[in-house]
Amino acid sequence: MAEKIGVYIDQSGVGPLLNAEELAEFVKNKFGGATPVVKTHPRLASEDGRALIKADVDAGGLDGVLVCGSSPRVDWDIFDFPGVLVERVNLREQCAMCYQNPDGSLPAAGGPLPKDLKVMAEDYLRMGVVKLQKMKAPTPDIPETTKRILVLGGGWTGLTSALNAAAAGYDVLLVEQAEALGGWAAKMYKSIPKSYPYTTAEDTGIQQKIKAVTANPRISVATSTALVQLTGAPGNYEAKLAGPKGEETTKVGAVVLATGWVEQDKKYLEPLGYGKFKNVVTSMEFETMVAKGGLSRPGGGTAKSVAFLVDVNLCTAAAAAPAETPAAPAAPAPEAKKPEEKKEGEAAETTFVYPDMESCKHMSYSSELSSLVALKQAGYVVEKDASAVAYIFYDHMMVPGINERYYKAAQDKPGVMLTKGLITDIREDADKGLIISAKDTLLGELIEIKADLVVVPTAMVPVTAHEPTINLNYRQGPAFPDLPLFDGFVDSNYICFPYETRRTGIYAAGCVRQPMTMGTAETDAAGATLKAIQCLASLNRGMAVHPRSGDMSFPVFNFVRCTQCKRCTEECPFGALDDDPKGTPMPNPTRCRRCGTCMGACPERVISFDNYNIDQIGTMIKQIEVPPDMKADGPRALVLVCENDAYPALDMAAMRGHTWSPYVRFIPVRCLGSVNTIWIADAMSRGMDGVLLLGCRYGDDYQCHFVKGSELCNRRMANVAESLNRLGVEPERVLQEQVAIDEYDQVPAIIDRFMDAIIKIGPNPFKGY
Amino acid sequence: MEKAVRIQPDLQFVKDLQEVGGEALKRCYQCATCSVVCPISPAENPYPRKEMVWAQWGLKDRLVNDIDIWLCHNCGTCSDMCPRGAKPGDLLSALRNMAYRNLVEPVAIGKWMSSSSYLPILAGIPALLYLFIWIIRASQLGSFFPLFTWDEHAHAFVTDPNGVVVYGGLFPGDFTIDPIFGLVALLVAFVFFRGVVKLFKSFETLPKTFVVAGAPKPTWIEAVKGVILDEVATHVKWKKCGYSTAADEQKFKGHFILFYGFIALAIVTSIVAVSHWGGKVVSFIAPLGHTPMELWNPVKVLANVGALMLLYGLTQLTKRRLNQDPTKQGSSFYDWYLLGVIWFIALTGIFAELLRLANVPVLAYPIYYFHLICVFMLFAYLPWSKLGHLVYRTAALVYARRLGRVAVEPKEIKIFKL
Repeated sequence: MAEKIGVYIDQSGVGPLLNAEELAEFVKNKFGGATPVVKTHPRLASEDGRALIKADVDAGGLDGVLVCGSSPRVDWDIFDFPGVLVERVNLREQCAMCYQNPDGSLPAAGGPLPKDLKVMAEDYLRMGVVKLQKMKAPTPDIPETTKRILVLGGGWTGLTSALNAAAAGYDVLLVEQAEALGGWAAKMYKSIPKSYPYTTAEDTGIQQKIKAVTANPRISVATSTALVQLTGAPGNYEAKLAGPKGEETTKVGAVVLATGWVEQDKKYLEPLGYGKFKNVVTSMEFETMVAKGGLSRPGGGTAKSVAFLVDVNLCTAAAAAPAETPAAPAAPAPEAKKPEEKKEGEAAETTFVYPDMESCKHMSYSSELSSLVALKQAGYVVEKDASAVAYIFYDHMMVPGINERYYKAAQDKPGVMLTKGLITDIREDADKGLIISAKDTLLGELIEIKADLVVVPTAMVPVTAHEPTINLNYRQGPAFPDLPLFDGFVDSNYICFPYETRRTGIYAAGCVRQPMTMGTAETDAAGATLKAIQCLASLNRGMAVHPRSGDMSFPVFNFVRCTQCKRCTEECPFGALDDDPKGTPMPNPTRCRRCGTCMGACPERVISFDNYNIDQIGTMIKQIEVPPDMKADGPRALVLVCENDAYPALDMAAMRGHTWSPYVRFIPVRCLGSVNTIWIADAMSRGMDGVLLLGCRYGDDYQCHFVKGSELCNRRMANVAESLNRLGVEPERVLQEQVAIDEYDQVPAIIDRFMDAIIKIGPNPFKGY
Repeated sequence: MEKAVRIQPDLQFVKDLQEVGGEALKRCYQCATCSVVCPISPAENPYPRKEMVWAQWGLKDRLVNDIDIWLCHNCGTCSDMCPRGAKPGDLLSALRNMAYRNLVEPVAIGKWMSSSSYLPILAGIPALLYLFIWIIRASQLGSFFPLFTWDEHAHAFVTDPNGVVVYGGLFPGDFTIDPIFGLVALLVAFVFFRGVVKLFKSFETLPKTFVVAGAPKPTWIEAVKGVILDEVATHVKWKKCGYSTAADEQKFKGHFILFYGFIALAIVTSIVAVSHWGGKVVSFIAPLGHTPMELWNPVKVLANVGALMLLYGLTQLTKRRLNQDPTKQGSSFYDWYLLGVIWFIALTGIFAELLRLANVPVLAYPIYYFHLICVFMLFAYLPWSKLGHLVYRTAALVYARRLGRVAVEPKEIKIFKL
């Protein structure tokens, strides 16, 4: 609760029309003793400006500083004063720069101060002061933590991750389900190039890596061991492991999930003759065959010609055909998940059914690898027998990035012959060779060719498509949520943030995340390991991890008023809240990402943050002056803006010269998920004519930084519309719009469209009450 | 459904092609830039892209029957523009080299002609033949370097220590030159005949519908006329291959002048041969071809002009080859063999004439001996050498014209100027 607030107004930030002195006068008159210091400065973001504030802070008379001028997204390093609460009023981008007259014209330079601009600036100043008044410095509970990292999976990625973590000074527990370390890499003859010049297949290097791991004193290895359950929260997990010596429980701080992939069910390869003809093998079978020796065929004899079928259109077409595959697993999976999740909420003892998410689609997802592996294995053929030939039929040769060099090198081998083409048929010849027919090839419309051996791709299916893997003891269930959306790949694909999962403290790397090469997996392992370390090094200081890295606030529950409705525990996108048998939420601060979705969900408003709460935003809304006559003084609309994308988009729009209606007032929110419907009620009962919510895209291609926030908000808005209807208020007055950070140019149109609609609807019937 | 065509890749053929000048062929990734930039490729099934694909797959049967390798004049535009440095131009010349090597029997000669290591055999045959003649004649005349005067009475050259160098005296045309070269010419003509028949037969596998819609098929006569007027005599087509850089100019002028230099020398040889042998029947034309000629004799003038044209043409072509960018285009043994042999013919011919005029027998006769060897090496191995294109390309061009397989005339593109 800041009670002695210093207000500093930056003349360079408020522009030529507004006058800092007049604004200072306004604040003094309005707040008096609550703001003992009100000063102006020609340019606050300077040594001199900073020194001015610093002197006042050091003098000890202040507990809050309100900097009025530029956007809080800039110069935050300058206006950082430890010991006092600091808040910013964005008078530059979101007031002075974006201002236009109500008729759309721009105010004349050097002309008189437009009335609406003055009103707007004063609204923001009032909101700024009360925001500080309703703010406390967060005092996090710093938990006891263990810094040990659990790496799940002893394959290429897991080994790399363990070595990285150990090199960074962290103890590692490496758990591998199989008897030996190495995973798929240990079964391989060679790897596609991992180093310059990226032209020759090389030794996988897996044995050296295993040696390095087993020799490292920081890494303890548990093979033939499975993770039975993971209880607790980041920094303080209890991992129950089942190994050769029975079950044991051990403490770990964070987890790197590198459980990799399993081979796709080979039934999907039947259209290419697999299973029907002996001399049709998968690329993984071919790999082990070559690793063991040569090119001898399963059907007898040695292969002098090997055809690699990278084109799998026959398989995908067969899988898409309705009647043929009763298992068509992709479609029912998402539905299977939802009712099951509900059940979980009802009673924890209900048997948990994990939907199987494997489908033919994994063949397409693996296509880059299929291309690269075909190039690599074609190289094996000519390496093992200089007079043998390898044919590659591809629909798409996918060799992105540096691997183009490998493609060139593979192509340069006389015995490696490539053509684009669609496989139409495959049949067996009298000598057990195979005749492949293909159309639309580079060699002709319809061709056929004989090969002694045919290699069809092995598609990679993430382990998480079949089982929860992570086996969490969380209220929301043992698995990562919503994986059917990603066909079982661990949901780490925030557009901008790899490795993240929806379970804080657990970071995915390697093929469990997406099919990738060993080279990419190595980078991936490093990334996920660093994220795990970052997590441990944040929560032991009470700080949040991505995306609110460094945030010290956390949700505080006033349990006295809690009605055990479980909305918060169900809606938390990160499963941070467990509950006791009565249904009272049990917070786990280190799992929490501080998005405030629980605060937005709570109908009793028992959840708050020290520096962000229901009362604070509600009070701010009440500071917006609403003129009683909409015709004379214009309408008023509240815009609740997501801080992550929409807020910077507004700043950018203003900086690039866009302007919009002077009747909107912006209040930033952590996430639209944190918007409590009471704020909308507050705004409407104040007589405001509309509420616009600007947030991230939601749905399958969501861009929400908290995954579910904007989607949950949208769901709540349906209820809001219902309530408004009941009250006789037009539901169109409340609107949620989706904005991506790069759509700054569309933001002005969104606002103006909304304001036009509001003007058309007319004044809020509650105005003046 | 249409019948699928069985593909039979031949790895050895790929390797062979790489050996005779197509070493970069595997680099092609089928973007078709080559076919697009080629100034003379037909619109239907254009070359050289399809040849690149076939070559990568070792589709020998298609490539050895491919008429398009003869339509290409090797301007190198495709190789210059190739984003992968796959040198399609070099591949097509490699395919032609392969045709020189394998098209006609005896293929042993084709093999000798494919590599510098067989040069001793190629040169050895005429060298031994004429050395043998030289020794016999020396024993008859009493000197390896005899001098002669014309004996009007005997109507023959007779040795005379105070006489002059007369090549026909040491190597009498009637017995040592004309019969040998006549026989060689007949054999070469026969080999070429067989070659062209074989070539035409291989082309028969081509689709017959190359004609661009509506275009009338020319008759054989029209086709021959077209080839001679558009291609051989005027080089008009070839000029279309590009005439913008210094190298283009060198190539075009060099080939054009060299070609007409040979024509001039062919006319001289014909006049001499016809008047000499014809003179034995119709005696009054005999003096026309009597050698050695006076320097002012129009036929001699033509011969000397022809020789100078050879020198000019050779200089241009050699300059171009030496200045080639090796990352874009290469020169094979076939190229250097042909240039080398013609260089030797021209130089030994000119020096033989000068030394004869200077009357220096110890130098003149050996030089003339070398001249004979070079001329033999050019003509006797003609069907297996790069110069074989004289016949094969001409034949293929006529055939292609008959089929209607000709380049689309580029349409004038309107360029908007501000």
